[in-house]
Amino acid sequence: MRSAEGRGRTLDEAVDSALIELGETRRNVDVRVVRESSDETVVEVTVMEAPDAAGESPVNGKAETVRTLLEGLLKHMGVRASVQVRVGSDPITLDVTGRDLGALIGWRGETLRALQSVTNVMVGKHLNEGERVIVDVERYRQRREHTVREIALRAARQVKMTGDAITLDAMQAFERRAIHLALEGDPDVTSSSIGEDPDRRVVVGPRKPADA
Amino acid sequence: MSARSAAQRIRKAIAVVNAVVDGAGDEEITPTEIAEAIRDCLEMAELAAVPNVRKYLGEALDATSDGMPADFVAMTLYAALGALQEGLPS
Repeated sequence: MRSAEGRGRTLDEAVDSALIELGETRRNVDVRVVRESSDETVVEVTVMEAPDAAGESPVNGKAETVRTLLEGLLKHMGVRASVQVRVGSDPITLDVTGRDLGALIGWRGETLRALQSVTNVMVGKHLNEGERVIVDVERYRQRREHTVREIALRAARQVKMTGDAITLDAMQAFERRAIHLALEGDPDVTSSSIGEDPDRRVVVGPRKPADA
Repeated sequence: MSARSAAQRIRKAIAVVNAVVDGAGDEEITPTEIAEAIRDCLEMAELAAVPNVRKYLGEALDATSDGMPADFVAMTLYAALGALQEGLPS
């Protein structure tokens, strides 16, 4: 997998500099924040490789079974799309691509979430206990995770500057998870959630000495 | 209560189940809480007029009591939401 390090004053600048070096767009990459301080952000940007042209990807038989089942489901739904297993993904992640798949994502990703639930029910007997499959359409889920991670880092910077806690917008569980993971290694801020689903919100606040 | 708020209540139940499935790591949700959210939906009188919604909600409640996987409960709740939207006057 190709990757590059990017540096900049802000997260966006750092990501952009790495993207220019790689000659890629944000859509095809995974971003990891290496270091972040008030004057510089360093990120590692990795290009997500697509399966090779022959259609043979180094995925296991289980992933292939799951892929076939989802492809069949989409066909029954009358959706023309191709399904690929994301290489190196754990848990198994299925990428659905095609034209005009907005309806498959739905309002705030609701249809995509439903599709994932149905897929997991269908493929359950092929999986180990507790194992799950992630379904992504046009990398919506991945893009959303990147977006909320950027929101989290921005909120953390603000909390460090002002010392005041920030309450973010209501988010789904996988988005809140992305925020908690993005901030868990930060020694200066802490994240927690308040409220009840579907209005549960993440609060980013300064880490008290006792929390450290 | 309007059909819109009925849909909101079902969405709330779905969000609770999805929080279990996705494991945000910031809350502990018990089957009792899921059952409570589904029962809240079943209490809505206006759902009686919409075909299949109560049937799916009942199935989701049974699935929760039987310890079925959260994905199965979520799928059944989506079916209830779909039936509600289909049954609404356009």
